[in-house]
Amino acid sequence: MKPTRRDWMAGTSAVLAAGTLAAPAVLGQAKPRVVVVGGGPGGATAAKYLAKDSAGAIAVTLVEENETYQTCFHSNLFIGGFKRYEEIVHRYDALASTHGIALVRSRATQIDRDRKEVVLSDGRRLPYDRLVLSPGIDLNYDSVPGWSKEAEEAMPHGWKPGRQTQLIREKLDAVPDGGTIVMIAPPNPYRCPPGPYERASMFAHVLQQSGRNKARIVILDPKESFSKQGVFMPDWEKRYSAMIEWLGPKVHDGITSVDPRTGTVVTGFETYENCAFVNVIPAQMAGAIARDAGLAPAGGYCAIDPATMKSVVDGDIVVLGDACNAGDMPKSAFSANNQAKVAAMVLRGELVGAQTFPARYLNTCWSLVDTDDAIKVGGRYEPKDGRIAAVETFISQPGESAEIRRQTQAENIAWYDAICADMFT
Amino acid sequence: MTMGEPGLGRHRTRWRHARRPAGFALTGVAAFLLATAPGEAAGDRALAEYLAAECTGCHQLSGRGSGGIPPIIGWPEEQFVAALDAYGRKQRDNPTMQTIAARLSRDEMTALAAYFGALVAKP
Repeated sequence: MKPTRRDWMAGTSAVLAAGTLAAPAVLGQAKPRVVVVGGGPGGATAAKYLAKDSAGAIAVTLVEENETYQTCFHSNLFIGGFKRYEEIVHRYDALASTHGIALVRSRATQIDRDRKEVVLSDGRRLPYDRLVLSPGIDLNYDSVPGWSKEAEEAMPHGWKPGRQTQLIREKLDAVPDGGTIVMIAPPNPYRCPPGPYERASMFAHVLQQSGRNKARIVILDPKESFSKQGVFMPDWEKRYSAMIEWLGPKVHDGITSVDPRTGTVVTGFETYENCAFVNVIPAQMAGAIARDAGLAPAGGYCAIDPATMKSVVDGDIVVLGDACNAGDMPKSAFSANNQAKVAAMVLRGELVGAQTFPARYLNTCWSLVDTDDAIKVGGRYEPKDGRIAAVETFISQPGESAEIRRQTQAENIAWYDAICADMFT
Repeated sequence: MTMGEPGLGRHRTRWRHARRPAGFALTGVAAFLLATAPGEAAGDRALAEYLAAECTGCHQLSGRGSGGIPPIIGWPEEQFVAALDAYGRKQRDNPTMQTIAARLSRDEMTALAAYFGALVAKP
């Protein structure tokens, strides 16, 4: 791209702090270049921390095709009527103006690992010394028989932001009293483990608030159990009585097919006809750009070194967030933001001689069940036996006081503001 | 159960040493340099920055917040360390903070206390 400006002064503070002489920055050569693909909680955070903590000694470029970022996290709160759509949309401008990050608004289509270049949809090539890939997920459109990309308007997933998120709310609003919503939950591993169940809670909340108390929600799950199940289910009972019904694979005996034209879902156990709304959340995998680069040899997600977040396939590439296999860490915004900081530290160590420390990781996932009633799950993690392993975990308890649930929701709201400030300012 | 330290307003500024020049409030660097040798100070600073990065996912550096998660900037260091220590011993409620505090050593708590203690609330 461009970086020939010989500005080793910018690297001086980092160099003095490290007590060593780092190569390119001090010798007056071009700044080391890091290209970040993906402006979500992994990528935006990585770009910011690389730029901020290197005091400009690293030339950071962020490639993101969307002008604004709508968070998938808290999109359920929008669906539930707890947040306006505008509240979950964010801009990237401050990353450029405050941190000097070069924003490239384009779609990255390919990684040329031999030449160390990112190829954009318009043909431009961005050279990198190190690459941070945080492309998110792709959906497996073949994972539910009868469902396809063409069917995603009739039977939306709402598992990627934008039009899909809004479509979920539109479909919910159109459910008549007495209508049936069928949610097909995804198999592990997938983005946001408690997400489908928070969403079902939001469906029930909206239906109840609008007096559509005879509507029902059926969750057909390929999984035997789900995140925070022991806390969600008693709370559903308490808040929504029998409105939400969860069926595991032993009960429904598998999804035979769905028909987007008629709103029909056929399982081994029962057929649901004329469903008011079918929300298909399919199986998922790493974004195509990562898989096409050969970084997910086993198919699904990218294998990474737990101490560095680097791809085990290519030491010049870090993979963050939903696209990587992070062991016991769930695919969450909190995890991605957290992993990004480890990766930024590692790359600064390599590129400008910054001091590095052993990786440690953290996650918390909050889920809103009803007004002032949220639950959480989380833990701390460390590299162990070649993967990121949980050291200690915590989870909300069934039967907690209303005050604790209210406080948990207040935390959830405050966390969102903090992580967005962390990512975008 | 209280989330924040009693008596600390969201935008109140606290100074660790009366003698510390006002202009260095925005970073902890000068405070470290006054107290310790350069290499040691820089190491503490680098460690504090790394650890603090884990905190800023929830606690805003600006000190802003909607109330559900308390601001942690500008606290007197002893109180900051005491709060973390209490979480680590499960004497303060909040499973998230208990888990976090459990893996912080005393030195790390001290480094974080200095780092955040030097920050000033942004309007």
